[in-house]
Amino acid sequence: DATPSQPSTVVSLRTREEARQLWQQHESSTRTLSASLCEHLRLILAPTQATKMRGDFRTGKRLNMRRILPYIASDYKKDKIWLRRAKPSKRQYHVILAVDDSKSMAEGSCSDLALETVALVAKALSSLEVGSIAVVSFGESIDVVHPFDKPFTSDSGVEAFQRFSFSQTKTDVRWMVEKSLTLFETARNNAVGSQAELWQLEIVISDGVCEDHDTVRRLVRKAMEQRVMLVFVIVDSVRKDSILKLESVKFGADGQIKMERYLDTFPFGYYLVVKDVRELPTVLAGALRQWFAESVDAGGV
Amino acid sequence: MDTTPSTSQVQVKFVTHEAEIAVNPAPILVPSNLKRFGLSQVVNHLLSPTSPIPFDFVIDGSFLRTSLDSYIADNGLTSESIITLEYVRAAVPPKYLSSF
Ligand SMILES: [Mg+2]
Repeated sequence: DATPSQPSTVVSLRTREEARQLWQQHESSTRTLSASLCEHLRLILAPTQATKMRGDFRTGKRLNMRRILPYIASDYKKDKIWLRRAKPSKRQYHVILAVDDSKSMAEGSCSDLALETVALVAKALSSLEVGSIAVVSFGESIDVVHPFDKPFTSDSGVEAFQRFSFSQTKTDVRWMVEKSLTLFETARNNAVGSQAELWQLEIVISDGVCEDHDTVRRLVRKAMEQRVMLVFVIVDSVRKDSILKLESVKFGADGQIKMERYLDTFPFGYYLVVKDVRELPTVLAGALRQWFAESVDAGGV
Repeated sequence: MDTTPSTSQVQVKFVTHEAEIAVNPAPILVPSNLKRFGLSQVVNHLLSPTSPIPFDFVIDGSFLRTSLDSYIADNGLTSESIITLEYVRAAVPPKYLSSF
């Protein structure tokens, strides 16, 4: 009997059956919310509005003023003087759902809430069918629980649930952002079609307590330069005491004690504090809408 | 990597049995390399008493004699947990007692 090849080093924390039951439970408890989030996102992400007026047509919506003089000069022959709304182009999305798998997520209450959030967001994104979705877990290490190149199905949900333990002993947000940027880069290189129509978005689900804010802030800036949008969802209800009130003690160089609100140095520009999973669809949609508005203003479209 | 590691932090709760020196028991983040003296400074900062009070700290029934970091490592804890620190007025050092 030959030595069997070692199974994958990935540790399953739940049996497949346990994970399946959990996934089904959370998928069904969040069904309505997920449908609602999906509808919100559909309105935001789908390119329903054509962005620019383009010419030159014989009929249209608005006159192209630059064509008026030649029109008259040509004795009304050059009559392609109208602008029309350009056809909306097909956008492509890459979305990473990054879920904090550290122990603090299960400290206050139950990890059920985190799993519920995963089911809600993953389901909404996958039924949206606008692009590829990846799921990563982070803590001390970062694991791709679901890769970009596979469609996200109920089985993916079950597999993902097998991999979350909420027992990792660190919350390395910096490494998570770095790794995510690499994943996005690879996905971008593999993508077909126009890079300009490729939108990359990461939704982080966490209790929000992480270290090394300065380094993380630099990475968040790098993400912006690479046109990767980061939305940090703080699931505050996993904590007994709200993160809004959390204070941080620093010792200055002179040995003086300085107290600051923890969130005042929080490195993510777009963060949401969610008390209840039921708030998530509206709140997340609001943040994404704002991001899109700003991207359009900045000429990102 | 040549990045300088910033000080790690850990969430602690300061509790005491003496009502008149009690501070808000909500968790706060403190540098995890703090020892008794640093923690005593923090509680004094929160209390701002007229004159500083030296405190001793009790975790799980024993006095903290190392840094929080070492305590966490030695006791199989992680910085993911909130540590409850009970503080008591530090005992008067024996050298003063002997002069009476
Ligand atoms: Mg954590």
